[in-house]
Amino acid sequence: MQNNIPDNLENELKQLIALTIGISPEELEITTNFWSDLGVDSIKAIAITVAIERRYKVTVRDEQIPQITTVGQVIEIVKDALKKKSDGK
Amino acid sequence: MLSKYDYDAIVIGAGVGGLVCGCYLAKAGLKTVIIEKNPKVGGYCTSFSSKGFSFDTFVHSLGSCRKNGNITKIIEELNLTNEITLNRSDPSDIIITPNHRIFFWSDFRKTIQEFQENFPKEAKNIKDFFSYLLNHNNISLVSIRNNTFKDLLDRYFANAELKAILGFPVLGNIGLPPSLASAFAALKLYQEFMFDGGYYPSGNMQTFADVLAHKFNDYGGELILSNLVKKIDIKNNKTMEIILAKKNISMSSKYVISNIDAIQTFSCLLGETIVDKHFLNKLSTMKTSLSMFILYLGFDNEIEKLPKEGSNVWYLPHYDIEKLYIGAEKRGANNIAEYMMHIFTKKNISIFINANFDSKEYWNAHKEEISIKLIKKLEISFPCLSQKIVYRQMTTPYVLYKTTLNQKGAAYGWASMPSQFAEPGLTQITPIENLYLCSHWSTLAQGVGGVAYLGNNTAKLILRKERINSK
Repeated sequence: MQNNIPDNLENELKQLIALTIGISPEELEITTNFWSDLGVDSIKAIAITVAIERRYKVTVRDEQIPQITTVGQVIEIVKDALKKKSDGK
Repeated sequence: MLSKYDYDAIVIGAGVGGLVCGCYLAKAGLKTVIIEKNPKVGGYCTSFSSKGFSFDTFVHSLGSCRKNGNITKIIEELNLTNEITLNRSDPSDIIITPNHRIFFWSDFRKTIQEFQENFPKEAKNIKDFFSYLLNHNNISLVSIRNNTFKDLLDRYFANAELKAILGFPVLGNIGLPPSLASAFAALKLYQEFMFDGGYYPSGNMQTFADVLAHKFNDYGGELILSNLVKKIDIKNNKTMEIILAKKNISMSSKYVISNIDAIQTFSCLLGETIVDKHFLNKLSTMKTSLSMFILYLGFDNEIEKLPKEGSNVWYLPHYDIEKLYIGAEKRGANNIAEYMMHIFTKKNISIFINANFDSKEYWNAHKEEISIKLIKKLEISFPCLSQKIVYRQMTTPYVLYKTTLNQKGAAYGWASMPSQFAEPGLTQITPIENLYLCSHWSTLAQGVGGVAYLGNNTAKLILRKERINSK
């Protein structure tokens, strides 16, 4: 684990996002688009964001919000937020 | 489909969310039962007749009926277009203040113009605010998840009167002032109800619920009325078993959809042997929405001065919404200021005021006095109205509780504060596998349009899980 980033972050996030929007984690590929592939809307996008923020005790910044579209992008957002947190920013 | 269970899905509560969810599940071929404690379906969406007058008990109009709106989609997808017609009142709402009168028209551009004419110095801000607000389903809305409606109003406007006017329907329809209401929930209210509202089903609101219930039966669903679920048990880690109060009937199911109060569901029906203690503790600290006091009046003659039939009139006596909320939290006869009046016809109306729950005794002792004070308030705008009253009935917060078992007679489920929005474990998905929430006790949505969305969406989640094409 580096900078408080869990080694299995990808799996953790797949589990968390799948649970939040009520699908099976196996349905989530790294590039699955939440909006076009899974029918996520603004309500579900908030639910995903809130779930991530609560779980990792981080804040997703406004400029990162448009990137909440795939697991791959969410991994980068969480990594960035955890790094900022461990740097004390 | 799942022969080891009595049912594939059990829906608890035949409010609109439960009926919609049940219809989609039954339509897809799932063996589904809906259990309702009352003798009729609808939850808060019911109607009654007495002494020649007809009223809707609580919900008195529908929103989300535009093309692709939540209700429209449901009516189309459940093949209800021949069974129900929706007519729209134009204007749907009128806000009256000491020095403004603002109409909400079916043409939203006219409504925006109304605001601009009343507040010319804010004309550009009004245009910007409403174009943001009407931008449906945009990912940028995620950025306001932690904001209150006040944050949003302050971002766009300087004029305190304008901010109060925009905050008033939020107080009335969500039960919170702008300083506490979630900006997202308030935006949804404007998108789905204030700017797409005023629809009324052919018949009455009960018709809407009844049509859904008939369709559920047509799709093969089973409806059990006048029976209360008294326990949910989980057998062998998977199978859910429901026990009914009457005759102690038990029935097993793979899925349970709770369309009732969340505290009832987790604390009373499931209980602490099944639900994690921390989760139950969290529930007990969460804030529920305000309740409502409703007065129904029938007149011997038409009151010509009343606004157009079908419209809602919002009376705002001053511009301190925060003070009005504090008043609603300790509602009493000496504390009647704002109200919302729904005009069924020029011969019968209902008047709504937000109120706290207090107790059965409190309302029994004060309802008469409160209704008289409220009528006096109405007479400021409609002189001599009391002389024409031939029918008067009331619904108190205690009655709302008794009817639905909603905690403290909550009118809108959980209080829609940013801190409670999309609360993990209390969205549609719960900590109990295969137990879903689809009422306003999920923290995702409120109002009929909101619970209709949740009912539809919850069914889709279950069907997806079962790999059944929901089309």
